[in-house]
Amino acid sequence: MHLLIPTIGFGLVTASILAIASVGFTLQFAITNILNLAYANVMTSSAFVAYEANRNGIGIWYCIALGGLFGALFSMLLNRFVFTPFIRRGTRAVGAVIVSIAVGLLVLYGVVIIWSPNYVSYQGTAGRSVHIGSMIFTVTQLGIIGVAVASMLLVHILLAYTKLGKAMRATAMNPPLARASGISTDRVVDLTWLISGALCGIAGVVFGMNVISFTPFTEQDFLIVIVAAAVLGGIGRPYGAMLGALTIGLATELSALVFNPAYKEIIAFIILAVVLLVRPQGILSGGLSKEEATA
Amino acid sequence: MSTAYQFYVSTLLVFWGVNTIAAWGLNLQFGISGVMNFAYIVFQAAGAYTAAVLTLGPASPNGYQHYVGGATLPFPLPLIAATAVGALLAVPIGLIGLRRLRSDYQAMIFLVIALIATDLAESQSGLVNGTSGLFQIPQPLASQLNLSSIGYQWFYVGLAAAICLLVYAVVHRVTGSPLGRSLRAMRDSPEAAAAVGKDVARLRMLVFVLGGGMAGLSGGLLAEYISAWAPGSWLYPETFVYLAAVIIGGRGNNFGVMVGALLVPGFGEVTRFFPHLVDPQISAALEWMGIGAFMLVFLWFWPRGIFPERRRRFAPTEPPLPRAEAAARVPGR
Repeated sequence: MHLLIPTIGFGLVTASILAIASVGFTLQFAITNILNLAYANVMTSSAFVAYEANRNGIGIWYCIALGGLFGALFSMLLNRFVFTPFIRRGTRAVGAVIVSIAVGLLVLYGVVIIWSPNYVSYQGTAGRSVHIGSMIFTVTQLGIIGVAVASMLLVHILLAYTKLGKAMRATAMNPPLARASGISTDRVVDLTWLISGALCGIAGVVFGMNVISFTPFTEQDFLIVIVAAAVLGGIGRPYGAMLGALTIGLATELSALVFNPAYKEIIAFIILAVVLLVRPQGILSGGLSKEEATA
Repeated sequence: MSTAYQFYVSTLLVFWGVNTIAAWGLNLQFGISGVMNFAYIVFQAAGAYTAAVLTLGPASPNGYQHYVGGATLPFPLPLIAATAVGALLAVPIGLIGLRRLRSDYQAMIFLVIALIATDLAESQSGLVNGTSGLFQIPQPLASQLNLSSIGYQWFYVGLAAAICLLVYAVVHRVTGSPLGRSLRAMRDSPEAAAAVGKDVARLRMLVFVLGGGMAGLSGGLLAEYISAWAPGSWLYPETFVYLAAVIIGGRGNNFGVMVGALLVPGFGEVTRFFPHLVDPQISAALEWMGIGAFMLVFLWFWPRGIFPERRRRFAPTEPPLPRAEAAARVPGR
């Protein structure tokens, strides 16, 4: 049991990365009604853009910002030039998912061609370790937790206190009504892809920092965990995704005390399956919840 | 024809047969019934592992391959078992994935199931030999027939063709019957199909099991032919190859899907003729990008594929069946 407290520490780091990723994923769905399964691949592309900058001597913490910027622009362009045209043509729900996976293949193997399928690592992630109680963190891990807390606070401020956040919530609830009330939903959708894309890009880079070395395929399995966190929180609900990320992050790390650590994703999947079997209504009610919408 | 070309052509034909069976199964689920199963490749993998394990014989504890449930069954039995396992596996996966969720949630859950299945096979090395996979799987009837290697190639082409005919008989019977009409009705509007008394949940599960069995059979046929099967052969994008075959060939059209099953994997063969241009890692990546790009182009310009599904017209005069009779008809046909 002397491993319990340090493991909770690892769980917090995993939960932080997961929170950034799953809030971005769930926001895209809430506002644009697209389940973007290319999400993990866009994360990977951002991680590799940051890797390129890092390799050319840019500090790793600036690279997080750069990865976020790339993720934001890339996601917005993908939506403008691929997803929206297909939706306008009447591509239905499952058709949009097929489109997103096709895009994911293009992005993933584009990264493989540009950067090779081999392992890469960031420079400057090594640092001394810090003891907080009996939890041990590296400076990088504390930084990751900090980035996550800051991102979540910004998302909260955006949704709860800004006009854009209100417009986003209105668009999520009822797009025609939002348009009728004078909200430019196209602009809101663009901005949503920028914001969620930034979260996606940041998540890609901090994931790479945490695992030390990664290939273009490493972040693919993270999609399992992202989906599990988003579904557990009720898909389309950013606050639910934060809670889901904390639960799944802690559960997967704590499970490694009992089971083989290789089963982390499998534990996340079991949680997902149980949620789907026992509380599918969590996933059936898309969009932001009523309390959040009236806040 | 020189021996090398005979070998090449016969290999392509066997792959075409395997891909056609798999693409028909996916067409039955997605093209005819509107159930998008992104875990489809998992059923093929399950069939392949089943056939492999049932021909390899019991695993020796200090051998170099570790797996469960080894046996040495005579020829058609491993393929029958592969079909059965594919079909049976559809039940638990269907129970999780086919809940009354929106079709895009379903698709997402199935993709997650495909990722998790690869994880499980790789991390549980005692199950089906982990990442290295199973190899040296004996080819069916190879020792009894005692053919030359080219002769055996053509024997396998004949075997694949015979199994294709058998599967086509089943597929044709389903799609051409009142059951097929119910399935297409469910695809076009699940609510309307339910409103006229079709049990949508049951129909979905039925095509899931049928398609799963076909995927399992194709996997068994493939693994017995190439004598090896590993997690690398069934990563999640492989489902996409069959989906591309269905969409490019023409969803809902069995003939079109057969052509698609030749065109889509055949596209990868083209790069083989230019080996001096690109190195193999890059060409594999280009192949995947090509499949993704082809998909987007077809979905944009020809969403109904090269051979669009025939429009069916029915005389509106036929009186509706009484409810009880209609319900009784659904599962049997």
